[in-house]
Amino acid sequence: MSLALVGIIGIVVLLLILFFLGMPVGFAMALVGFLGFCYVISLQAGLNMVSSVLWETLAKYGLTVIPLFIFMGQIAFYSGVNEKLYKAAYRCVGHIRGGIAMATILACAAFAAICGSNAATAATMTTVALPEMNKFNYNRKLSTGAIACGSTLGVVIPPSVVLIIIGLSTEQSIAKLFYGGIGAGVLLAFFLMLTVYVVCRINPSWGPVGPRTTFLEKIKSLSGAFEMVLLFFLVMLGLYFGFFTPTEAGAVGSLFAVLIGVFQRSLSWKGFISSVTDTLRVSCMVIMIVAGAMIFGRFLAITRIPFDIATWVVSLPIPNIGILLIIVFIYIVGGAVMDALALLLITIPIFFPVAMELGYDPIWFGVTITVVTTLGAVTPPVGATTYVVGGMAKDVPLKDVFTGVTYFLPAYILCILILMMFPGLVTFLPGLLQ
Amino acid sequence: MHTLDKLIQTLVKILVFVGGVALVVMICLTCANIFFRLVWFPIRGTFEFMGYFGAVVTAFALAYTEVKKGHIAVDVVVSGFSRKTRKYLQVVNSFVYFLFFATAAWHIAGKASNLRKTGEVTETLQVIYYPFTYAVALGFGVLALVLLVNAVKSLSPEKEHST
Repeated sequence: MSLALVGIIGIVVLLLILFFLGMPVGFAMALVGFLGFCYVISLQAGLNMVSSVLWETLAKYGLTVIPLFIFMGQIAFYSGVNEKLYKAAYRCVGHIRGGIAMATILACAAFAAICGSNAATAATMTTVALPEMNKFNYNRKLSTGAIACGSTLGVVIPPSVVLIIIGLSTEQSIAKLFYGGIGAGVLLAFFLMLTVYVVCRINPSWGPVGPRTTFLEKIKSLSGAFEMVLLFFLVMLGLYFGFFTPTEAGAVGSLFAVLIGVFQRSLSWKGFISSVTDTLRVSCMVIMIVAGAMIFGRFLAITRIPFDIATWVVSLPIPNIGILLIIVFIYIVGGAVMDALALLLITIPIFFPVAMELGYDPIWFGVTITVVTTLGAVTPPVGATTYVVGGMAKDVPLKDVFTGVTYFLPAYILCILILMMFPGLVTFLPGLLQ
Repeated sequence: MHTLDKLIQTLVKILVFVGGVALVVMICLTCANIFFRLVWFPIRGTFEFMGYFGAVVTAFALAYTEVKKGHIAVDVVVSGFSRKTRKYLQVVNSFVYFLFFATAAWHIAGKASNLRKTGEVTETLQVIYYPFTYAVALGFGVLALVLLVNAVKSLSPEKEHST
């Protein structure tokens, strides 16, 4: 049996195990990678490879950035930062039609600048923003759709665990990916807000006007969000000027977030402990997927499948943009049935070399596929964020939440197309880092 | 089985506590390193110890994450299976992964023993680091135990009602 065929069988077996046995993604990749490696080389080589990769991955300095940024987000989450950001956004744009839904998206975008978790953003925003939108008789589909889609900004706007993972697995600068994510995140947030505006223009009763606030009230509300803006700039400017490594930025951001919580008395001891345990759980989940992908990657590397596929795809009589659209389509479909992080880690070893062979910018490619996979967080059947919102908004049927999400899908598609047409939107800021 | 379950739960709590402490140490160490870098000189060995503490954070959270069902799985197809089929799948999955991670833990412990015997030290501080390798082996070992208990629990109908 040729090595390429073994590689293809390995990928098929992995997908079968993932879908039909429901095994955890990281574990499944590790198991299939191990078995494949044993088949191609030997059992002893497989055992040595697994123990080495597990130890080296867990002890890798580069990966310590993951728990640190997750911790920063968790501290912000347990300090109730979401509520403050929401109030600030609400006071600024709540008085226009659909403004409270727009404020929700703005608050999601702002929270995303501190926390990279979709689920955490969705959970708190449902608690904070939904009652307010209900109070003003917002259409439930629009309100829940805005929360679910707004929450997806968490993985696009830095700091984002997904961007960190892309950086580590493709050996690209995490700082550049973070800066690339700003343009894409702002664009996506803009289109999501534009969707609210358009929907409310068509159905004015769906997004009634909120209360007017004075200029002073607006300024006062912004002071509540000031510390978080400071935290974001501390992290991003530290990276920009090369003052911190990404890991150091995560640690400084975490310490700063704890200090803000303590001095403002918004972080309780219980909240701190929950932040620690949640960080352990989430970062362990992420790092085990990385470790599994590393083991699976070793197997793929010895079969040379990624390189063979890249060479084959490039030789196809299809224009580059056609191949890129196929890749984007695969990510849209894949994101709909699989967690974004897992999908990226399985597919990056295959598609990243293809994108490089086609001459695309690695930072642009990483950021664009991140935006594409965020679609999967709201679309059925996986749509984790939609389920979180549906689960917490007890009086709204899940069907309505999914319907609400569909209003926002054109925004994602438009954003992806614009990123493809104008790559400079992503590459401009990272370019300044050079 | 009940005693083993209790024992593992206690072990998981201890590991989570140590993992949490390691996380806090990582933050303090990094911030202290930045501070001393600014005012004097950087703390030697920060990078290598960050990696080792990171390993403790992840390894000691492995069992806890499994207990909390925190490892992501693709359940699109499986959620459509009957309850009985899902139960059997869980037993098979847990048992397969028990074998896999128990073997991995054993091999990582063997690696740690080799590091101890050869007196391998870190590059910068020239201190031994095999205790961290043993710690990672322990983390995977406890994960394997949790998976074994899960498999046995899933096979026991009366336990299922009680949980």
